[in-house]
Amino acid sequence: MQQHMDEPVVRLQGVTKRIGRRTIIDKLTLDVPQGEVFGFLGPNGSGKTTTIRMMVGLMKLTEGEIIVRGHRISSQFEQAIKHVGAIVENPEMYKYLSGYDNLLHYARMFPGVTKQRIDEVIELVGLKARIHDKVKTYSLGMRQRLGVAQAILHKPALLILDEPTNGLDPAGIRELRDYLRRLAVEENTSVFVSSHLLSEMELMCDRVAIIQAGKLIDIRQVHRSGSEPEAAQVAFEVDQASEAAQLLSDLEAVHQENRILVTADREQIARINARLVSAGIKVFSIRPLTKSLEDQFLEVTGGEQIV
Amino acid sequence: MFNFIQLIRNENMKIYRRPRTWVMLFILIAISLAVSIMAYAFPDGANGELPSMWLPFQISTMLGINIVTIFAVVIAAETVAGEFSSGTIKLLLIRPWSRSKILLSKYLTLLLFAVLFMALFLVWNFAVNWLFFGADTAAVRGIDQLPALNFFLQYYGYEFISLVMVVTLSFLVSTVFRSGSFAIGLSIFLLFGGQLLTGILSLMNYPWVKYVIFMNLRLSDYLNGGNMFARAEQEMTLGFSLSVLAVYYVIFIAITWYIFKKRDVAT
Repeated sequence: MQQHMDEPVVRLQGVTKRIGRRTIIDKLTLDVPQGEVFGFLGPNGSGKTTTIRMMVGLMKLTEGEIIVRGHRISSQFEQAIKHVGAIVENPEMYKYLSGYDNLLHYARMFPGVTKQRIDEVIELVGLKARIHDKVKTYSLGMRQRLGVAQAILHKPALLILDEPTNGLDPAGIRELRDYLRRLAVEENTSVFVSSHLLSEMELMCDRVAIIQAGKLIDIRQVHRSGSEPEAAQVAFEVDQASEAAQLLSDLEAVHQENRILVTADREQIARINARLVSAGIKVFSIRPLTKSLEDQFLEVTGGEQIV
Repeated sequence: MFNFIQLIRNENMKIYRRPRTWVMLFILIAISLAVSIMAYAFPDGANGELPSMWLPFQISTMLGINIVTIFAVVIAAETVAGEFSSGTIKLLLIRPWSRSKILLSKYLTLLLFAVLFMALFLVWNFAVNWLFFGADTAAVRGIDQLPALNFFLQYYGYEFISLVMVVTLSFLVSTVFRSGSFAIGLSIFLLFGGQLLTGILSLMNYPWVKYVIFMNLRLSDYLNGGNMFARAEQEMTLGFSLSVLAVYYVIFIAITWYIFKKRDVAT
């Protein structure tokens, strides 16, 4: 176990997929370290699901290599895939079997997954009351939970989830998010999540990769609450905006309609507020203008069409 | 390979937890029973004598073996194509098992199903007719005038080989085209259309005719003498037919495994 700690759980090296003459995925290279929740973001048709299919061995790579815990998915599939749990697209289950039999089915395919572990996982995803009902009677949300259950049965080092919040209600999404963070922190599981719900990714992930048309465009750290950004642009909503701008001209304040924009850190914000108030200017609101991931995402992908 | 039996258990679960499998078994049992009741209620003899147990046994056998074949073809068609159409193939293949072994578990389970149904039918058919008509140890059957029990045990054996060929084709089509209905259609054609084609092909005097799968599929003809004339003309023997079938079998299996291993799963 120890020697695994510093090497990434999964490494994609120049992963390329061509179908005919079309290049679906183009030289994708990225690492996901242990215990990280990694977001995989891209517009529809950008190749997210294709990448995930290659990561779990459902599709062959044209070029490059995917290495899970030091094992190549192409040549050492069985050793590599045992560290992976996944949902690919919708969690499709055997509808004519009960939820329990579905889990039993997958449990039998791993060594050492006991009945207790199955019960533990059922408890964890909150399906205890309905687990012996046939899956065809389940709602989409319940199937999603069952999907998560089958993915974590064998305590994988890497959990791959393709659009896991699809079909979940807000409470379910929140629950899933909390659960994934807990897995990452407590069990040191790496989580690889694809999603088009950008705001979700912001709340869930440590890092986010953005792909478009099969190319990796950017990987960036997500600022999480608690880690305050240094200096950011702040908007002060005031009653006399032009006077306020003049007053703060030393700080290069910009006047915009009924507010002024200024770059400041926490301390400075308090001082600016004091200056405005003592100058008799009413301050109605102070709001930091952090760019949401959505803005960044649209900025990076340029709101382009599906290619 | 820590426990291959578990894969077989999984595949069994997917067959026997479905009501349709039990409906199949019920139909099979009911047909044999119906034939016996008819033979018992309307004896054909001039003085109303009951027939020998082997007469209704033979009629049920002809019907029943075709029905077992059809059921096995349906299971074969479903086992791979069904996983693709429901999307469950994606969750099945991302386990620490090679695709070859997963496919093997499906194929073996399918053969187990066929053996089980064939055996249950044989035993049931025998028991019912024995109870209705009493034992008849004097009866003989076939061109070699074998004792009836001996003859029918061989007959079931030959028919089982034919069944394996048809079912393996269904499994091939199910895997290659991922279409259950196509697999069923083509296999049923091989089963019934083949009998028709055999007659037509027998009339043609080309040397390649005897290598066509249809011509060799009905092995039980070697027991009871059907089509013997054409066979003799083509210099066909049981050993020859078995060899031809073996070649087809190896080709079917090779294509099935090759395609299944190679395919990108993108459903």
